[in-house]
Amino acid sequence: MLKSEIKRLVRRHTEIGILVISLCLVLLFTLTSEGRWANAYNIGTILQVTATLGLMTLGVALVIGTGEIDISVGSTFGIGALIYLWFAVRIDPVFAALLATGAGALIGAFNGILITRTKTPSLIITLGSLMIFRGLAIALTDGFSFSVPYKERDGLSYSVLGGTEFLGINTGFYWLVAGLAVLLIALKMTPWGNRLLAVGGSAASAHSRGVRVERIKLSAFVVCGVLAAFAGTLEASKLGFADGSMGRLMELQAIAACVLGGCVLAGGRISLPGAVLGAFVLSSVQSYLVVTGVRPQWFILLLGLIVVFAALGDRTLRRWSLKN
Amino acid sequence: MNKQTPLIQIKNLDLHFGAFHALKNVSVDFHAGELVGLVGDNGAGKTTLIRVLCGIHTPSAGEVYFDGTRVKTFHPKLAIDQGIETIQQSVGLCDNLSIARNFYLGREPVKRFCGLPLLDFAKMREMSGRVIRQFGLRENVSVDDEVERLSGGERQSVKIGRAVEFKNRVVIMDEPTNHLSVREREHVNELALQLRDQGLLVIYITHDIFQVHRLADRIVIMENGEKIEDASTETMSAEALEEVIRQGGRIVEKRDAV
Repeated sequence: MLKSEIKRLVRRHTEIGILVISLCLVLLFTLTSEGRWANAYNIGTILQVTATLGLMTLGVALVIGTGEIDISVGSTFGIGALIYLWFAVRIDPVFAALLATGAGALIGAFNGILITRTKTPSLIITLGSLMIFRGLAIALTDGFSFSVPYKERDGLSYSVLGGTEFLGINTGFYWLVAGLAVLLIALKMTPWGNRLLAVGGSAASAHSRGVRVERIKLSAFVVCGVLAAFAGTLEASKLGFADGSMGRLMELQAIAACVLGGCVLAGGRISLPGAVLGAFVLSSVQSYLVVTGVRPQWFILLLGLIVVFAALGDRTLRRWSLKN
Repeated sequence: MNKQTPLIQIKNLDLHFGAFHALKNVSVDFHAGELVGLVGDNGAGKTTLIRVLCGIHTPSAGEVYFDGTRVKTFHPKLAIDQGIETIQQSVGLCDNLSIARNFYLGREPVKRFCGLPLLDFAKMREMSGRVIRQFGLRENVSVDDEVERLSGGERQSVKIGRAVEFKNRVVIMDEPTNHLSVREREHVNELALQLRDQGLLVIYITHDIFQVHRLADRIVIMENGEKIEDASTETMSAEALEEVIRQGGRIVEKRDAV
């Protein structure tokens, strides 16, 4: 009886695997770092990194939910950061943030329209846009960086947009919590969310039920672009500068966080809290390597191993839960 | 034969998939309040024809009229909005969604909260559970369970329940009794007759000419993408129709020549 209840719980909540992994890692890192990892300052830093990576991950998770993939988010992140900094200095941070997220929406629409109209695999199109917008970011900065001097970053707008801390946590983290709450409601409680998961589960069946498959996919790409650019905005607001390489390889971390969080790359099964927990785990691992003096190059290797084992573990858990 | 304006009228319909000519100059009328058996071997074009009617395929040439109005845009959403419900063999259910979510996919009931359209879960669970259990869903399966867990018969029950629940004008059943037990099969056949008696147009696709002959008012036979016979069940026996299928329409050609 208890076993069947656990199976039902695992079937319905794909994030259970990552929750267990997170708790184990927190315990392990706390016990083995002699207080260097589990302290208020370091946890605050981890949550700040989780905020930007997590927002990007939420968007990627939605796209994965439709059965597609967006690997251009790292470049969208960079473009968002550059547009924000350029206009924040010259006009206003809030206006700059709106422009940056608008640019993210346009990049998402560019990807989504090309993918749905031409039926080209999303991996190919977003690989192209990853390079196009990275090239644009490098060309725009021309080897230099965009920046806002520290003394100019003291207004409320900067603070709200990730420029400072509130209750010891970077304000970007509150944006992540808000974004997660809004998207969770949209995904689980609205017709749009029902249709998005249906498209990922079986596009042909969704189409036969009258779902506008292309529109749903396009909307997921647009939301993904907006979130990636907004994450770039928060990061730029925190750092005060950005160059052409900002956000490079973050797309891989976002996809890894989704896989860790129980999102099935084939589509239809995603967990937004799981994806955010995945981002938290990656940020925690990165931080652990730094505080224990391990060279950061090992992070990519470790990232790969974690993704492979998480994917295998998730698959095993799901098979077990489906067994009668 | 019904002399009213046909509910669905198909004129000289052609459909190509690349070089493959799937439907060839098909013309057929369907009236409200009749049960039509659409019969033919594998690859005859039955499913392709109904996929045009339910908006999945857009014809290459020809005309389709619904209730006297020419259909210019083909999309499942438009067909569903007009009251055409299809129970298909291979598509219609998303394994990753719950039974209740599948039941209402594309026409989800909502409750407004601060202007936001939120799913009406209470209605989704109550209605889908009540309707589908009539068609053989086990008591220990919750409507919150994913469709992935259902047997073939239960999957069919969800599709049939969906066709019955919504106020439709046309119900198209593509091999509806596949995977069903004898009792469930009888239930589905009774249901098809009930829907017909309520004034709906029922198109029943099957390989089994003897089964559908007992139910249908009219039988349309297809072969290699063409309509080769359209006869009332009062005027032609099941054996005679079976012979038409076996001969691939050659009997009809000879009869027409005479």
